[in-house]
Amino acid sequence: MVFPRRSAVYMLLVGALVLFLGPFGWLLNTALKNPSELRALPVHWWPHDPSLNNFYDALTQIDYLGYARNSLTIATVYALLVTLASAWAGYGFARLDAPGKRLIFSVLLSTMMLPQVLTLIPTYLLFAKMHLTNTYVPWVLWGLCGAPYLIFLFRQFFSNMPKELEEAAIVDGCGQIRIFWRIFLPQSWPVIATSLILSFSWTWGDYIAPALLLDDAHTTLAVKLAYGYVNEHGAPLGNLVAAGAVMYVVPVLALFLIVQRGFVAGAATSGLK
Amino acid sequence: MSTEQITAPGAPSPSGGTAARPGPRTRAHAGRGPRSLTTRRAWAFYVFAAPWVLGFLALTAFPLGYALWLSLTNADGLSQNSRFVGLENYREVLTDPETMSSLARTGVFVAITVPLSIAAGLLLAVLVNQPIRARGLFRTLLYLPAIVPPVGAALTFKLIFDRDSGAANGVLDALHVNGVSWLMDPYARWVLVTLTLWGAGNTMIISLAGLQDIPKELHEAARVDGANAWQSFTKITVPMLSPVLFFQVITGIIAAVQSFLPLLISLDPTPRGVTSVPESNYLFMINVFAQYFANGRYGYASAMLWLLFLIIVAITFLVFRLSKGAVFYSVDPEAAKPSRQRTIGGK
Repeated sequence: MVFPRRSAVYMLLVGALVLFLGPFGWLLNTALKNPSELRALPVHWWPHDPSLNNFYDALTQIDYLGYARNSLTIATVYALLVTLASAWAGYGFARLDAPGKRLIFSVLLSTMMLPQVLTLIPTYLLFAKMHLTNTYVPWVLWGLCGAPYLIFLFRQFFSNMPKELEEAAIVDGCGQIRIFWRIFLPQSWPVIATSLILSFSWTWGDYIAPALLLDDAHTTLAVKLAYGYVNEHGAPLGNLVAAGAVMYVVPVLALFLIVQRGFVAGAATSGLK
Repeated sequence: MSTEQITAPGAPSPSGGTAARPGPRTRAHAGRGPRSLTTRRAWAFYVFAAPWVLGFLALTAFPLGYALWLSLTNADGLSQNSRFVGLENYREVLTDPETMSSLARTGVFVAITVPLSIAAGLLLAVLVNQPIRARGLFRTLLYLPAIVPPVGAALTFKLIFDRDSGAANGVLDALHVNGVSWLMDPYARWVLVTLTLWGAGNTMIISLAGLQDIPKELHEAARVDGANAWQSFTKITVPMLSPVLFFQVITGIIAAVQSFLPLLISLDPTPRGVTSVPESNYLFMINVFAQYFANGRYGYASAMLWLLFLIIVAITFLVFRLSKGAVFYSVDPEAAKPSRQRTIGGK
């Protein structure tokens, strides 16, 4: 049987969509079921008695909003600092020249290939010695030095801006810092937006660093969610996990859907061009 | 003044302090010609590079050195005076059957997931690159799982593959097949693979960008010459896409060997428990975490991580060598350098 080509494409795509979006459906489904329905056999494909109680319980059984605030604090602080610091370094690599620049840049590129976990254990021990564990100082420090990938992103963008912008400013007596701050940075809002979103969602989703560096009171939603919902016997509560996960994942997805115009293309091409 | 504010991130740099203000004063030196301009630009570069360089030295290079030192000691976090043991940890890593089998499982995991997710991403990219309705919507929705935080993804898959209430066994039940305990051996490994493939939107997006860079004329010329869709795909699309695919192989391997998803799928309700990871998902990183968290063997875990790093470097080097000739760059050899740099640094 020969399908017209276009309908074959649609069929494959719809099949892929079912597979890719199905897990979200199941998550929502589980979050809306009541605990007894969760055990129903055969499995209920739709909640027969949907309720939002699980969301309320998920918010109250653990200090959900408190952990969400921790996540939000870390992610916001890191995203703002790392974006500014990466733009700062990216400008240097794109527009200025100095002995040793190539060496520094190749070191920067090679750190992207370094497994992050390799520095994790010593970093934990060092921060513990400096009494910086259970504080958010590590994220401030990480933010202040910029992230290689984002620096690269800004460098690519700044490299493509016309030389005249800079020359006119130099003739007017502008220093490099003012050129960066007043001329280049305001023009780079697409990269700024990309960088903010990427760095925010990295930190929002990170598990290992907060699990390592923060105690139970200071930890993030990502860590707490993974083991926080159990009954008095220590058995996991599927409904609450699902409700908690929905509230954890949806902000990221929503942010992405709001800004996805151009972001999908931008995220893809920026890495390769 | 805005100039004052922006110097803040550079402030920790002792050398940056004075050079950070070329500002209006630079006019005074304007008469000294292009050489001073070059010097000023060099100083400015150091000011702009300083935060990253200092951060690299303090937060990457120094911890790496410390990790190297740790790997030569028997540090356990408890006893104050850990002892230098030379290459003892490395000897133990290389002879420990547990370590070696977790390394082998990681190899199998990489060998399964990397080609599959690149192939799945390429297939999806080709599909969403067709002139169809709502392709932007398809792209976005297929990409969506890739941005779900790992913890959220792991929890979702735990629910789907739950023995009693999960959708997977629900489907089997509807087909009158007995359900299985997906999160245990021998099935746990396939849950892990499925979870990894759920994020194939990432490779789709990168391949899509590559596809859009292929000049349309090439495919048109091939069609005029009588090539069918498959020939056009294998003879034009794949070779033209080979730098992008090569990039995905390298970054995919580097990401997959470091995967700690099994930890998240099988996390105990007790904080930081890693004891319940099924054997088939007991990857190298899980072993590292077990040595580290459960046994407090910082020295040994560091040695394991250095071994992993050497393996990554070796694989990257090997892939580079093997791909010579297989990767096709559409630039002449003289210009090959920047093109290769782009491919490495792309992620």
